[in-house]
Amino acid sequence: MHEFSVTSQIVRSVLEEGEKRRAKKVTEVHLVIGKLTFLGLEQVRFAYEVLTKGTIMEGSKLFIEKQEGVVKCNHCGYEGGFKYEDDPLYHVPVPTLKCPQCSNVVNTVAGKECAIKSIKMMV
Amino acid sequence: MAALKREVVRAEESEVYDVELSEDLLKANQRLAEENKRFLHENGVRAIDIMGAIGSGKTSLIEKLVQLLKTRYKIAVFKGDLTTTIDAELIARHGVETIAINTGKECHLDANLVKKALQRLDLNSIDLLFIENVGNLICPAEFPLGSDKRMVVVSVTEGPYMVVKHPFIFMEADVVAINKVDLAKAMGVDVERLEKDVKTINPKTMVVATNCRNGEGVDHVAKALRL
Repeated sequence: MHEFSVTSQIVRSVLEEGEKRRAKKVTEVHLVIGKLTFLGLEQVRFAYEVLTKGTIMEGSKLFIEKQEGVVKCNHCGYEGGFKYEDDPLYHVPVPTLKCPQCSNVVNTVAGKECAIKSIKMMV
Repeated sequence: MAALKREVVRAEESEVYDVELSEDLLKANQRLAEENKRFLHENGVRAIDIMGAIGSGKTSLIEKLVQLLKTRYKIAVFKGDLTTTIDAELIARHGVETIAINTGKECHLDANLVKKALQRLDLNSIDLLFIENVGNLICPAEFPLGSDKRMVVVSVTEGPYMVVKHPFIFMEADVVAINKVDLAKAMGVDVERLEKDVKTINPKTMVVATNCRNGEGVDHVAKALRL
C-alpha cells in the first residue's frame, strides 16, 4: 500500500550511505521484507526502478529476501509459523494468534521487517 | 601525462565495497512511537488509536465517546484525514480540543505526524487523547503511533467478510467495535459471526457491538478501553 514512500526511504538511506563513502556507483542492494508487512514486492521493485533513475543507484540489482511470520508462545515455548484455521464457511484459512500447540495467545516475533541488509558499491 | 593516466583509472572488482547496514525502516517509526508513548505518559495522558475502513463510523464513535466521557476526562482529539477539516469540526462541536492532521496523500498516520501534532497541544490541559487514523484497514496496522490502546471499528455495512479479509489489523487491536448493528438485518450480516471471526484471529481482543446513532454499546466500548 505504501511501497512508494517506503521505497523512497530505502533509496534515500542507500544514497546517504553512498555519499558518506564517496561511492561512484551502487551495484547491489539487499533487503529483508517480512511477509506480515503490507509491502507488495512487485510494487517495491517498480518504485525502486523509478526512484533510482538519474542517481548512482540507477541500474543496481535489488535483492529481496522474504521473512516468514514467526510467533512465540510464552506458555509452552512454541516458536514457529502461525496457526491457520480452516473455516468451512469461507473456504479460506484464517491466521490466528492461538498457539498451534497449546491454544494460548502467542506473540509475533518476526515477519514485520523492512530492512536494508547490505549494499554493494564501487568507491 | 600523469593527469591523463589518472583519468583512465577504473575501479576494480576489489574496490567494490560491501556495506552491512541492517537498518529497519519500519522500526524507525516504532522508535518514534515509543518516544510519543513516553512523552504522553510523562504528561499523564492516555492515548487511544482508532482505526477502521472509510465510513465504518470512527468519527461517530469518537463523538459518542466524547459525549459520554467529557465530564470525567479532559479530552483532545487528533483527526487524521487526507484532506479537509470536516470531521475535525464535527468533533470540535462537542467542546473538546481537536487537531486535524492532513496527511496529503499518505493512507495512514505515522508516529512522526502524531509527534508534530503533539507539539501543538498543551498536554497539561488534557488527560485523554483519541487519535482517529485515516480510513483504511490495511496500512495503519503497520504504523504504531504510541497509543496505549488500539481500537478497530468495523461496520456491518462493509459486508460479512471484512474481518477475515483483513486479519492482520485485528491482530493489532485491543478492542474491536462492530458498528451499525441496527442495520445488520437489512444487510443480511450476522453480528455474532463477525464477532467469532475477530475472536478466532485474536482471542485476546475485546469485541463490542455498537450503534453510534443512538449510542448503544458505547459505554461498553469505554469499559473495554478501561476508561
